[in-house]
Amino acid sequence: MKDSLVLLGRVPAHPDSRCWFLAWNPAGTLLASCGGDRRIRIWGTEGDSWICKSVLSEGHQRTVRKVAWSPCGNYLASASFDATTCIWKKNQDDFECVTTLEGHENEVKSVAWAPSGNLLATCSRDKSVWVWEVDEEDEYECVSVLNSHTQDVKHVVWHPSQELLASASYDDTVKLYREEEDDWVCCATLEGHESTVWSLAFDPSGQRLASCSDDRTVRIWRQYLPGNEQGVACSGSDPSWKCICTLSGFHSRTIYDVAWCQLTGALATACGDDAIRVFQEDPNSDPQQPTFSLTAHLHQAHSQDVNCVAWNPKEPGLLASCSDDGEVAFWKYQRPEGL
Amino acid sequence: PRGGSAAVMASPFSGALQLTDLDDFIGPSQECIKPVKVEKRPGSGVAKIRIEDDGSYFQVNQDGGTRRLEKAKVSLNDCLACSGCITSAETVLITQQSHEELKKVLDANKMAAPSQQRLVVVSVSPQSRASLAARFQMNPTDTARKLTSFFKKIGVHFVFDTAFSRHFSLLESQREFVRRFRGQADCRQALPLLASACPGWICYAEKTHGSFILPHISTARSPQQVMGSLVKDFFAQQQRLTPDKIYHVTVMPCYDKKLEASRPDFFNQEHQTRDVDCVLTTGEVFRLLEEEDVSLPDLEPAPLDSLCSGASAEEPTSHRGGGSGGYLEHVFRHAARELFGIHVAEVTYKPLRNKDFQEVTLEKEGQVLLHFAMAYGFRNIQNLVQRLKRGRCPYHYVEVMACPSGCLNGGGQLQAPDRPSRELLQHVERLYGMVRAEAPEDAPGVQELYTHWLQGTDSECAGRLLHTQYHAVEKASTGLGIRW
Repeated sequence: MKDSLVLLGRVPAHPDSRCWFLAWNPAGTLLASCGGDRRIRIWGTEGDSWICKSVLSEGHQRTVRKVAWSPCGNYLASASFDATTCIWKKNQDDFECVTTLEGHENEVKSVAWAPSGNLLATCSRDKSVWVWEVDEEDEYECVSVLNSHTQDVKHVVWHPSQELLASASYDDTVKLYREEEDDWVCCATLEGHESTVWSLAFDPSGQRLASCSDDRTVRIWRQYLPGNEQGVACSGSDPSWKCICTLSGFHSRTIYDVAWCQLTGALATACGDDAIRVFQEDPNSDPQQPTFSLTAHLHQAHSQDVNCVAWNPKEPGLLASCSDDGEVAFWKYQRPEGL
Repeated sequence: PRGGSAAVMASPFSGALQLTDLDDFIGPSQECIKPVKVEKRPGSGVAKIRIEDDGSYFQVNQDGGTRRLEKAKVSLNDCLACSGCITSAETVLITQQSHEELKKVLDANKMAAPSQQRLVVVSVSPQSRASLAARFQMNPTDTARKLTSFFKKIGVHFVFDTAFSRHFSLLESQREFVRRFRGQADCRQALPLLASACPGWICYAEKTHGSFILPHISTARSPQQVMGSLVKDFFAQQQRLTPDKIYHVTVMPCYDKKLEASRPDFFNQEHQTRDVDCVLTTGEVFRLLEEEDVSLPDLEPAPLDSLCSGASAEEPTSHRGGGSGGYLEHVFRHAARELFGIHVAEVTYKPLRNKDFQEVTLEKEGQVLLHFAMAYGFRNIQNLVQRLKRGRCPYHYVEVMACPSGCLNGGGQLQAPDRPSRELLQHVERLYGMVRAEAPEDAPGVQELYTHWLQGTDSECAGRLLHTQYHAVEKASTGLGIRW
């Protein structure tokens, strides 16, 4: 496993502060980072190094917790502890805040764009998940306020191709939502984690969902449609989700983030023990009961908690990570021989 | 409130309030900033605290004597004043108005000397009645009469219908709109005018958007609170009683109405009594029936009580314009007539992005004269408020309600686990709509009350008894540091 994850470089992205989250643009050419310094930085390559191309500083009054690029790559959404979500429009290297979404009662923890680009989801410590719709004039309207979780909602993520939304919460569950008539409804609740679920990632096909938790496990859930061959029961016309794999014993602290590479299927985790790990599904793994092996374990990837890991969407094996130490690190992952 | 999956235990308060279920025992929230007054007793300052096995706290003095310490209690009233607790709290200990309270008062009445007894009045909302009618498969008239019978059986003296007090809410809303519309040139903040009958909406507006939104909200009291004025002022005088000698209970389709009744603005300082002493939800009335072991359909129907003199009504009456009171329709038709001389027979609604957001326009020769909307449910309230903030609200009047589908779908209405909720709601709506609608201008007793009780339609009395005020709640910065 030595050398399967190699450091390419580090940048002090949010000095004297925490770096909370990273997001690659759809083209894979830019990396947005956000942090406790209330700023968002946009990084790009210049030769072999990563340089800061823009600083978005006038948007938020408090920590920026997450950032997300729109599917077209022209917009960036930022979720902040100041209870707002900013929508930034990209104009070459400049970003302009075109709208501020208000409504959550307190800290917004996550924001995510639907694959269509017309919908946005946000979630908050106020326990709710909101779905917003954007029209041709860049006007955002709240389409639904979902109060299914009983505690702080940490993360939202959309299915890669369907309008299916997933959320993770301090209430130890993952919930899934879909549109029904003129509203959104919670169509599934995934129970199993024994503590806060911090993050989620769909696999490239969207059939499986990975969740990571304060209980130090990663769980893989699989979607079973009504009438499935495996005989998994479904209620009504909604698919069922079953936990088909649990990765336990690998992490010694809370797992804050999980990222599923859309190109290679590799699963990366960000852990409170300052390490980055990568897992890959075993070649002859049974789809209903897959097995994953640890293919990289980098101790001291950062000097403090690793908060986020993000696979580059175009360059296989290029991984970015960030930490409470304020730094962003770039890594090259290569699947080890014989594994 | 019906917003997400039916399988999830939804909060009984409207989506706008999001309070945890009052029925579960819950501990105090760390968000609670309510300072609790502690009585300082004379004596040495040093004492130890001992915790008993049952969780109670005892103060142990230096001489060995013990004193049981009182638990800090946060009342509904306190919660209203707090910015963080009521909408985002994990847990709060709240004293609840309930059917137990009513039973206590009725029992006390039985034991008390005549001079110590209280006159018990129950005012039933048309929405609660429709929900009970659906549950017991009865028509609204029989439901009204049998409910009257039931309440009198357990010791209630009078049973009224809040459809009567609603006449006043509607008339005041109509007048207020016309006044504001005419005064637009002088006051740019005059419009849009937003309906005020829903306490879930009011609490949300006071806590979240404070001084920006409040000037737009109608000052007309809700039917519950107009009934409070009617019972504790007019009716009390008629009965030759001071208001504190009347115990006024209302039956409402939601829990938010309990908060409304607790507002300091509806507390009579002079007589130290609330205009509405206790609010029971439809569900709590159902529990009361069960606990009293009464089958409502089997009761003999009783004649209906009426607040205005004359023969008691044969049947209940209602208003047109939907199950939330009909504010939009009444204000619209009145404004069309008063401002433009246009008679509107039927009001046509145009649904917008969802069925809880609809608009109504009055057009003449291609010009839009009036543009009204109804916005129910939190997501639509959000969009309305955001548009208002950006100066992009095209409406003159909006009927705002916190619950999706309006009051008939309130959090306190009866549920039927064996029936799809949509079907039950439609049944309740049908029963509600069966009741004969009456125009407030034509309702017997209303004009007389304006003349004799209020001394005129725009009098100081009318202003005091039929209107209210709103208070922006300052958001306390918690200073508890960073939240993950």
